[in-house]
Amino acid sequence: MASRSSALVRPPAFRGVGRSILLTLPIALWSLLMFTPSFRQAGRDRQIGALMVILFMTSLFFLMMRTGETYRWRRIFFVALGFLFPFGFIAALIAERGTMSIPISRMVSGDTPFCFMVTPSLLLPAAFARTIIFPGSILPTASNPHSIAIMIGIWFAMTLVLGKAWCSYACFFGGIEEGFAAIAKRRRLHRFISRFGAQLRLIPWAILVFVVLASAAFFEPVYCMWLCPFKAVTEFPAVRNLTTAIQMGVFVALFIGLVVVLPFLTRKRTQCGFFCPFGAFQSLFNKINLFEIRFNREKCVDCTLCQTSCPTVALSKESIRDGKTLLNCMKCGACVDACKKDAAVWHLKGTPVAVKPERARLLFLYGAWALATMFGGSVLANSVATMIHWLPWK
Amino acid sequence: MAALSFSASAGEALVLGLATGPVCLATCGPVVVPWMLVQPQGVRGHSRQLFLFLAARLAGYLVFACAVWLVGSAIPHAIPHAWTGRSWLMGGIQVLLAAALVVYAAGWPHRRCVVAKTTSALVRIGETSVPKRSGALALGFLTGINLCPPFLVAGVRAAQLAHLSAALLFFVCFFAGTAVWFLPFLSMGFVQRTPAVVTVARMVAVLLACWYGFSGVSILIERTIYG
Repeated sequence: MASRSSALVRPPAFRGVGRSILLTLPIALWSLLMFTPSFRQAGRDRQIGALMVILFMTSLFFLMMRTGETYRWRRIFFVALGFLFPFGFIAALIAERGTMSIPISRMVSGDTPFCFMVTPSLLLPAAFARTIIFPGSILPTASNPHSIAIMIGIWFAMTLVLGKAWCSYACFFGGIEEGFAAIAKRRRLHRFISRFGAQLRLIPWAILVFVVLASAAFFEPVYCMWLCPFKAVTEFPAVRNLTTAIQMGVFVALFIGLVVVLPFLTRKRTQCGFFCPFGAFQSLFNKINLFEIRFNREKCVDCTLCQTSCPTVALSKESIRDGKTLLNCMKCGACVDACKKDAAVWHLKGTPVAVKPERARLLFLYGAWALATMFGGSVLANSVATMIHWLPWK
Repeated sequence: MAALSFSASAGEALVLGLATGPVCLATCGPVVVPWMLVQPQGVRGHSRQLFLFLAARLAGYLVFACAVWLVGSAIPHAIPHAWTGRSWLMGGIQVLLAAALVVYAAGWPHRRCVVAKTTSALVRIGETSVPKRSGALALGFLTGINLCPPFLVAGVRAAQLAHLSAALLFFVCFFAGTAVWFLPFLSMGFVQRTPAVVTVARMVAVLLACWYGFSGVSILIERTIYG
């Protein structure tokens, strides 16, 4: 009885309401600033979409400040981004060309929107042959505003601030599998993952090296053409012969396997942790990023709660013993929130570990959330406007 | 006059090799990178392996030079479209490259013996006792006769030359031009050989083998169906 009553007692809030509002104020102002152009535009759908996103992003940040938890609230944003991005994107494709497949004429004229996932594949051909092996345009055009230069510029700027945290706050694909991982009640296959985690973690690196080398040798974006699971929910080459049929089969199989089934079974982001070559590439930027998660060894009791909670298997017993995460940590905050001893802490490089970790968290979150609002928020606003536009009673 | 044209064609081949070397590097990179990464650390050992690889590649070049010169004018200038044997050759070479990558870079059949002898998983991952010399020679020769765009250009030019010796010299000079671009691979000797690096290199070799295998079989099937 005593234990039941203690379970019903709400844990004390991390911060008071006033202080939380005060800390949320910069993000609220930033959101207003970001979406001001939407209010100037004609069309009530866009205005409502922008308003909803401002409220959504500001409320989530407020809850992060109030509760002291990061992962739970970030996940709501991230899953929303993951599921709404394909919705808005497909709607735009259908409205513009009537199909999700890319017509050859658009590829030839360089009108394919650039996706950041292809960035590592471009490096060697660009260096060796001064050729961009992607059917897009370098500078924005009237028919293709998502040009290579614009998208790489956005990615690079965000990467400098976020490092590998791009995969938790900006990637508009990861949210789909995080959503499927979240709805599962039981964690299955955990023995397999804990036994082969070290080898599984290396697969994205192998795929990255393979994709970079094969793209250079065959002069085509190999990942986009053969291995991208998210082609199944965005755009793909039209199925006209056996080769494109095989490509489509690979996309669908990878999507169902890595983005739907395995996350549901394991409660892990299996595509991000065990497949995505861009994630491996992004890990390199963790070396130069200022923020990281560290473990206070004086408080740690080796309960491995953090390791179990990590969605991408970025922790090993050895790394926890060393007080660090592995290179592929995407700073989602799951381990910090799961730790009952406050041993897992946010850390600003160059400062003593576990001294004012909340300050490090705040500094990181301001940057990450501001960029998430700017990049992911605009995607969300666009998708919400599309949904409102399609409402049956409108 | 003959000596002048001889040196002119040698110079042309050297410049062609130097100019198109980056494309050769990109074409051979998928084979060389995983192969070199599974070798033990050290610049000396890597230099030896690279030398063997390049020597076998030169042998492949010379065999090809002989072949194109003998066929001579029978091969039209627009080789890629007119010469149907090219597809058979490319498909066959890619299938052989896939097999060679699995055997030598991933060390598949040999590794099974290693697994049987050892008990520690870490020892197994870090194990690099794959046959080295034959691997460098096989992979070098196969990449040497692999038809990449610069190689085809050189082949067309060599087929037009009057003497076999001129064709061979042309390919030797072309090889010298392209070989310069392979020197940066020596720096891979400095890459630290952790078990993780070797495991990743083996995974890459298997992935590339699948890729070459698929590509080669596709070409062969396409050629069988459409002639």
